[in-house]
Amino acid sequence: MPSEFPMNDPQNIWQNQPKEPFKMSLNEIRGKAQQRQRKARLAALQSIALGLLVCIFFAWIFARANDVLPRVGVGLLSLAGLNIAYQAYRWIWPGSLAPDATVSTSLEFYRSELERSRDYGLHIWRRAGLTFCFLGLAMVVLPGLIKSLDTPRLMLNFVPVLVLLGIWLAIFFPMRKRRLRKLQQEIDELRVFERESRS
Amino acid sequence: MGSDYLDLRAETISGGDVSQDSLYQEAADAYGSSLDRLARAYEFDPEARRDLLQDIHLHLWRSFANFDRRCSVRTWVYRIAHNVATGHVMRQRRIRSRLVSIESIEGMPGSDRGELAVSQNEALERLSMLIQRLKPLDRQIIVSYLEGMDASSIGEITGLSPANIAMKVHRIKNVLRRWFGEGGLHAE
Repeated sequence: MPSEFPMNDPQNIWQNQPKEPFKMSLNEIRGKAQQRQRKARLAALQSIALGLLVCIFFAWIFARANDVLPRVGVGLLSLAGLNIAYQAYRWIWPGSLAPDATVSTSLEFYRSELERSRDYGLHIWRRAGLTFCFLGLAMVVLPGLIKSLDTPRLMLNFVPVLVLLGIWLAIFFPMRKRRLRKLQQEIDELRVFERESRS
Repeated sequence: MGSDYLDLRAETISGGDVSQDSLYQEAADAYGSSLDRLARAYEFDPEARRDLLQDIHLHLWRSFANFDRRCSVRTWVYRIAHNVATGHVMRQRRIRSRLVSIESIEGMPGSDRGELAVSQNEALERLSMLIQRLKPLDRQIIVSYLEGMDASSIGEITGLSPANIAMKVHRIKNVLRRWFGEGGLHAE
């Protein structure tokens, strides 16, 4: 069948290409958009809820504890939970770019989102309150551990906690390092990309 | 319903008089085919292209809740569509690392140069291949040019200066001339 368009007229070729009709109704579009928004919000809320749960759980133990040192430790753990929730809100909650931003702005935005994630991972001791967490944990565990030095059999009670802590440390730090390396690599690539796009 | 009607309508409405739904519906009617072509410029795989097109429409619908009429509906629609599509490309690191600028293609010796496509499909495939090698900004400019927009409209969408656009369009024309030949040959 002969073509009705000049083969050397790219504008004609482009504008007259076969169509693939888009078959979504307005209701479907609206439903999907709302569903997606809910999903994104839910993911951010999960981190916040986790922090709040940790906070409430330790606050409850705090109210029931008698000894001063463990009580302070549990209080610190409760505050650490609150801090996790706050930092998750501040650092993980997705930012919003003006929907009609130009391409260079959207590249910058995408990079800055990656940088936010990297910074959060880089300063996780401060931002996720891990320092308070470990300090609190030490205050809760150490008095009992010191007491049990006289009766080694009691020390066995601490083995599960210490094993779990060891496993967590062994998994957490290499994973964090790998994630940070990947993020940095992607940020560097994007920087080069932005520079080349501008030139 | 033409784009002029939409722009005029957007100019005359007062905030909130026209609902997000009706603005979206009218924009989808007026620019549906252009959005379909735009998705083709960013995604070769038909399945992934359908997903991208759906994504563009979702973002477009959502965006009309914030449409403030500081630009025309056409500019708004294209900016959003290009942003969604750029995000789609940027997330694919394997593809992203291979993208080049129009300047690189202009200076590249290629076997495709000067050979005329024998069918519309082949010509379209060749054109799509060229577009999909480009970085987002250049891709945005070439797609807008192929849609028949003038330099000022392209400048509004991309945020680049008219001089910059004119230079880029000149380069695009050079590349297209080399890839598609010149002389007004028609398929028999």
